[in-house]
Parts: sequence; structure tokens; C-alpha cells
Amino acid sequence: MMRLTGYADKFGVHPGDTIRFYVNCDGPKAYKAEVVQMINGDTNPRGPGFIEKAVSASINGEYTGRKQVIHSGSYGYVTDKPALRVQSFTLQCWIWPTTPKTHPKYWKHGPQGLLTKWSPADGGYGLFINEAGCPELRVNGKTLTTGAPLRDHAWHFLAATYDAKTGEAILYQEPQLTYALDPEIPPAKAVLSEKISQSAIPFVIAGYVGKADGGPLAASSLPKGVEIAGKYNGKIDSPRVCNRALSRLEIETMKLGGQTGMDERRGSGPTPKLSECLVAAWDFGVGINTLTCTDKGPYLFHASLVNCPTRAMTGYNWSGHNFDWKHAPAEYGAIHFHDDDVDDARWDADVVWEVPKDLKSACYALKLTTPDDDEDYIPFFVVPQVGQETAKIAVMIPTISYMAYANEHLANNAGGAELLVYRVPIMQHQNMFLSEHREYGGSIYDTHTDGSGLCLSSRLRPILSIRPKYDHFLSQSPWQYPADLHLIYWLEVNGYKYDVITDEDVNYDGLARLQNYNVVITGSHPEHNSGPQLDALHNYTQQGGRLMYMGADGWYWVHSYHPGYDHLGRGIVTEMRRCESGIRTWRADPGEYYHQSTGELGGMWRYRGRYLHTVAGTGMSSEGFDISTYYSRTPESNDPRVSWAFEGIEQDAKLGNFGLVGGGAAGTELDIVDTMLGSPPHTLVVATSAGRHTEGYLLVMEDYGFNQQGLDGTQHPRVRSDIAYHETPNGGACFAFSSIAFCGSLPWNNGDPAKNNISRLVKNVLDRFMADGPLPPPPKDSFIHRGRADYDPPGNKVSNVRG
Amino acid sequence: MISIPRKGTPEYDRLVREHEACMKSMKGVAGCSVLMCKTPGDTTEISGGIHEDLLLNRVLLRMRTLPAKNKLVVICTKLEKEWRIGRLSGIRGVPPVFVDDRTFDDEQMVQHAIFLMRLDEMAETDGMPEHFHEGWKRRNDNWTAT
Repeated sequence: MMRLTGYADKFGVHPGDTIRFYVNCDGPKAYKAEVVQMINGDTNPRGPGFIEKAVSASINGEYTGRKQVIHSGSYGYVTDKPALRVQSFTLQCWIWPTTPKTHPKYWKHGPQGLLTKWSPADGGYGLFINEAGCPELRVNGKTLTTGAPLRDHAWHFLAATYDAKTGEAILYQEPQLTYALDPEIPPAKAVLSEKISQSAIPFVIAGYVGKADGGPLAASSLPKGVEIAGKYNGKIDSPRVCNRALSRLEIETMKLGGQTGMDERRGSGPTPKLSECLVAAWDFGVGINTLTCTDKGPYLFHASLVNCPTRAMTGYNWSGHNFDWKHAPAEYGAIHFHDDDVDDARWDADVVWEVPKDLKSACYALKLTTPDDDEDYIPFFVVPQVGQETAKIAVMIPTISYMAYANEHLANNAGGAELLVYRVPIMQHQNMFLSEHREYGGSIYDTHTDGSGLCLSSRLRPILSIRPKYDHFLSQSPWQYPADLHLIYWLEVNGYKYDVITDEDVNYDGLARLQNYNVVITGSHPEHNSGPQLDALHNYTQQGGRLMYMGADGWYWVHSYHPGYDHLGRGIVTEMRRCESGIRTWRADPGEYYHQSTGELGGMWRYRGRYLHTVAGTGMSSEGFDISTYYSRTPESNDPRVSWAFEGIEQDAKLGNFGLVGGGAAGTELDIVDTMLGSPPHTLVVATSAGRHTEGYLLVMEDYGFNQQGLDGTQHPRVRSDIAYHETPNGGACFAFSSIAFCGSLPWNNGDPAKNNISRLVKNVLDRFMADGPLPPPPKDSFIHRGRADYDPPGNKVSNVRG
Repeated sequence: MISIPRKGTPEYDRLVREHEACMKSMKGVAGCSVLMCKTPGDTTEISGGIHEDLLLNRVLLRMRTLPAKNKLVVICTKLEKEWRIGRLSGIRGVPPVFVDDRTFDDEQMVQHAIFLMRLDEMAETDGMPEHFHEGWKRRNDNWTAT
């Protein structure tokens, strides 16, 4: 079990700036921290082995250990206010619970709070879902339930009234959806005769106060020190609080909420009488891109949201006519809370480092160890300031994609993941830790603990998948960060001087972040991208920049950064929605395609009219995760426009029939040229892996309309990887290597170009691309008119046709 | 839908033999498929296995689609050195548990051990009407997909 875990406040840090490291040391009294430069993260004995370089740093040394925990699960809260200290009350809201009843072994089994100002120690009042999955009213230690279990994934209207004078409590449970054999649910009534205990605890939406003084471990909770329990899974819409017991008719009217327009004197509404008792009426359809729930009641008790629940969710009144929340916010008055949401671990910093001004740009990590073999690495990247570049080469670290894959649980959660990988998944110790510590949050590939799609990922938490020595279950080899270190190793061993930059640098700095480099090299799998990042890449290649796309399945999903975290730094929380098509581990529900962060349409860039193939010349065609294969050169590799790339490589060479990802250079996810999907019509396919993939490889679903036989690697001609080249204006160019496994072949034979044809090919390309000035112009006869579908197919061979 | 071969039948023996040979040939590959490498540990030329034995292919598909609850999984216990067999809980937040004390010193033979266990554990008629249960209506049928 991992006793050391940590994270930093930045992925990328400029020389001279400060980076903070947050460490959980659960058990050992002390740990050692050392800065190391990361060279190779792959422990495979067939490769060069794990390589790190010691870095002399002022922070290297021993530190006192302390346990720090993550309080995951989203909720809203309002700090204690006199008006919330009611004696009589009405609480009402719509709910769409996803796990009203949980398995006794479920990680957060127990009652769930809906609208509460209650704690076990302090008493109070609140509306809950009890352990049996039924609505429950609590007044101090007394409870009232309807005894009717809530249907999951369905809307219900709930209201609870309590009259302090009579002691009478009534609980209404009114399903929006009823079926023929549903029992009637009459209002539950009881005389509780309790005087509500008042205390300083906050009012909580989607949870309740577990402990008002949670001790040192609650320092990372909000409000600080207060432990929130009973995290709710599901949607809440239109919550209201009134300070007297309303009649059922009044409750119905109160559904309208804060409605100043219904009263000439602009009372809070919805009627003058109800204005007098209204305490709070939150409208979750307001401020969807914020972390605030707007209260339209008289006291403006705007609630603070913690752990970034999902907004822009369809409400109980969604009509199915509007799909963009910006055009119908009143139909998007629901927030979906999850008990495993996490936006920020909020730990206290243990190690703070002012990065020396002369530290070279590279991949680094803070290495944490104890004498008992505990170990963790916190990777970070030293990125030069714009204008202070130190090399002609920039490696663009795909940090958005790292965040999308952060702490994925697929091997553990998704039984069907085995069908995808075509063997039994292998779990590493990081996966085992995460399977027990759901509070570390999941990836955008996962479903939440309630089964709903996970569309937001924060980098302010330990991300155990961004680690060296980590083999991913998908490939049974390094994936993302450790796989990108294959490239870093190759650059180092071949003596290249390079800078590293991150996705977020490109997103926030645009073209300025790229334009001073002669060549930009991607990671092995830059799948997840923001619009500003793609804009910058297009502008760069348009102006003569050279792009080496070292992987596949790039430029696929629409991402945006949540503006609610801008004050904490760049790119803290990224959002992605899995919409109408694409390879999806979950699928967004109807009406929930638009991002809460920016209001833009989510899903694949392809369906925003921004074809993947436009960025570097190739785009995703297929995937499979069992084993990889190799490439053969095509006749187009001899075109003088590109033949220089194959100097030193035989025509019939088996290109990359070796490697540390699947055993070959063409594997896992594959890209091809398609001029109908945005590949420039002058693109040259210089090598292809056609016909060599296994049955485990399948055509992507966005490429066909009918599910039908013949889609796998042993049959379908599009299940292949194309290595491709095309020129861009002003002496620029793109080389697309089009396979995630490709970089895994670079370290083979220690990356020696004389003993590794993939290394030779990449070296030929990089040497040419990194040279100053525009690339040599293509031959004059290559300037010809070309259409997209302008091609006369040769047809089937007719030699066997009789007659 | 095909039946799961029973122990003692020629089909069972053939599948076990082919699976084991494929796994042995995959030793050293940074990945794995139930296919035969012409040169052990080298995926340049592959054949056999799921590409040529339809029954093996279909049986493996059925095994792979088993629901997560109680599903067998490989757990790496020592980096690059030791692997064991675990069983998924199917409950979020409850980690897998080891099924036995056996340890394996490569990534491939543990796959074969799980193949044998599943042949024993799965009913011959797995997934057919006699196995209908309420879960078939609630997305808990015997075809788990991501």
C-alpha cells in the first residue's frame, strides 16, 4: 500500500518561480525528498531501464512526515446565519438520486444529506435520504420517513415541514414519474415535539456536518476544520428553505422560488405572504460556470460549491427542446453531486522550492522515499518564459491528456475493459491503492462511484497515473507520462537540446509559446485539447513552424479549463464531455453536451467541424491494445519531397518490428491519412502498417454508420497506421508518426540510429525540421491542383472475371 | 452462442494446449495476445490462437465480458518480477482480493492460469436462457462493455 503520495501546485514552472509540493506521509515519521531529472521511466528489462539524474537542489533533504487526506465528494454550503436558525421550517427540492440505497460495503454507505443544518453532535434540522434509500426528515435526534424507497435515476419532489408550536412534521414524497404498479405514497406525518438545537454549523446542500471540529485531518476540508459527511449522489434542483410550515398549496407555489416579478413591490416572492417566510431559494441555473449557487431569496445566501460538482445538467423541467444551457438556463437548474468529486486536495505545503534561474528546461520530479522502500514521484516540468527559449526544439507535454487519464479506475471498475485490451488486465500497486482510495478521484475515462460519467479532472491532487515505473493496464506498458519519457530518453541519448512546454502553456500563451521554436514535438498521445491550443498549433504551422506528431489519437476531444479556478493557477480543472460519437467509456445524457466551464459544445472536435486530420495530417482510425506490429515503406517514401527522411533505411526494412509498447512501433491507437477528413490533399503516406494488426484492433465507431462484421485489424483496410508527411506554408511541415506505440520503439538498442530504424527515421526528420530558416522548397512539379475526393479508383482486378 | 467446453473433452484439451503455447510464445513482449509468435517474444510474425481457432476465440470473448463482480484480474506484486491472481469486488471502493497464494514470475503464465480457472468456473451454458436473472433487464447481463 502506498504510504507516500503527493502533488505539486504546478505542472510547469518557470526558472526563478516557486513550486510547492504537498505530501501525504501516512505512517513513516520522516521521508527524504530529492529533485531528480527524469530520463526514462520504463522498467522493462528489454529497454535501457529506469533512468533518473540527481539534481542538486536546496530542498533536497529529510522532512517530517504527516498524514494528509482528501475530503472528496461535492456539496454546497452557507456558513451559519441567524436566519438559518429556524424553529419551524419547510425544506423542499427536486432530486434525481443515483444511489439512494448503497451496498453495505460501498465506500460511503449510509445516509445522504440533501438540505441540512444538522450534525450528530449538534442536532438541528434537515432533509435526508436514509440508509434504506427513503426520504427522511430529521429534527435533532428524531426522524420521520415515508418508508418508500426512492427510485434511482428518476425525479422526485420532496418537501418537509415542521411546526414548532404543534410539534407536527410532514414529509411529502411525490415522484414525477409513476408506473402502473407503484404504490401510493401518502404524506408521512408525526408529532416530533422537538425544540431545534441551534449551533454554528453551516447549512449544507448535498451532505451534512459530520464533525464541526474534525481535527487536524479536516484542515483540508471546507469550511476548514469542518468534516462534511453523508455526501449525496445525484441531482438536486430548486432547493428552498422557509421559516414556517407551509401548507401543501403554499409548497406548490413556493416551487416558483424567488420571483420578485410576481409582486408589484418586488418582494422576494413568489407571493407577498411567502416573501415573509422565505429564507433561501437557490437557482442553480444561474452562474453555471462558477462555484457559487445563487440565492434568489431575501438574504442572498449564495452557497459555495466544494469539489466542483457537475453543472449544466438537465433539470426536472427539461423539455428536450433546448440542448444548450445558455439558451434555457431555467431548464438547467440541476447540479449533479457525486461523493467522489474532487477539485483540490487542499493539503498544506511541505516542500517549497524556488527553482534556480539557471535550471535547464527538462522533465523533473520530486522523488520521495523512506528507508522502508516507500516511494513516490511528483513529476513537474521546468518551462522557459516566453521569449527566453533555450533550444530550437520544444517538446509539448500533453498535460491535458494526462489530466484526462488521471487516476483511472477502468481495470478495476469496468469488467468490459478486458474486452478492450484482449487479455486479463494487470493492476499495478497504484491501481490497488486507488481501488481503495476513491477519494483521490477518477479520470475522465471513469464513471463516478454512482455510475455517472466523470467529466471534470483536477490536477491539484496526487495523480498516481502520472508516474514513472507505471505500466498502464491498457497497453501493459507505459502510457502517457512514462511513455513520453521514451521520447525524452531518446532526445537525451542522441544529444539533442530541447525545451519542454505543456498544453496549458500553449493554451494560455497561444502562438507566442510556439513561434520561437523551429520544431515542436508532441507526446505519444495528445488526445485531449483546448480550442486555443489547436488555434496556436495551426497558426504555428501556417507560419512555417514544423510539427512532429509522435503519436496517435490526437486532437480528438474538446476540453476547456474551468474559470472558477483561475485564481489558483493555470489549467487547474479541465472539462470534457463524451457526446454523440467517438470512442467513449461513458456517454453524456441527452441535453448535457455543453460544457459548464465555457458553455461550448463538448464532444469530438470532429463534430465541431475541426477535423483531427487537419492538425498534423493524420487522424484516429482504430484501436487495439493487445500487441503492436511494424511498418513498411510505400512508394511515396521515395518522392523527393520526403525521401530525405529515409536516408539509411532500406526500402524493404521492417520499420519498428521491436519496441517497448506492444512489441512494435505500430500499435494501441492508430491514425491514418484521410483527405475527406482534413488531411491536406498533398499529404504523402510514407509508411503503413496495413494488414498486420490483430483481431483486437477495431475501426473507430465515428467512421461507420452501421455496426457490421469486418471491422477488425485482420479485415478492415482502415485499421492501420500511416506515417505521413506534408508541407505547410512558409517552409513549415508536419510529420505524423501516427501510432501511440511509436515512441516505445525509440529506446530500443539504446536509441542508436545505426541499430534502430525508427530512431534513424525520427533523427532524419528532426535534424531537418530543427534547422534554422524555412525548409528547402519542394520541387516545382509538386505544385499542382489537387481535390479532396479527386481520384480515379483502380477498381477490382478483373483478371479472374470470366467473359 | 457457443458452449464453454468441459474438462475431459477433446475441445477443452485443445484450447488449453493452444492457449498455453501462445502465452509461452508471448513471454518478453510488452503486451500480450492469445496468438503465437513465430519467434518467441517477437510480434513480427504471428499466427494461430484467436486468429485460427474459432472456439478459442469465442470462449475468450465470453470470458472477457464477464461482469466485474468476482471477475479474476492480475495484480503485479513486485515490479517486473511477481504477479498474482485477484478477484474484483464489483463494489466501488472495495479493492480486489487475492484468490490464492500462487505467484507467477512473468505476465503471461498468470494469464493462462486465469484461463484455466475460468474454464472451471463458467457454466457450460453461461449466458443462455437457463441463466436468465433480473440483472439482464438492468444492464447487469453477461456482456459487460465500457
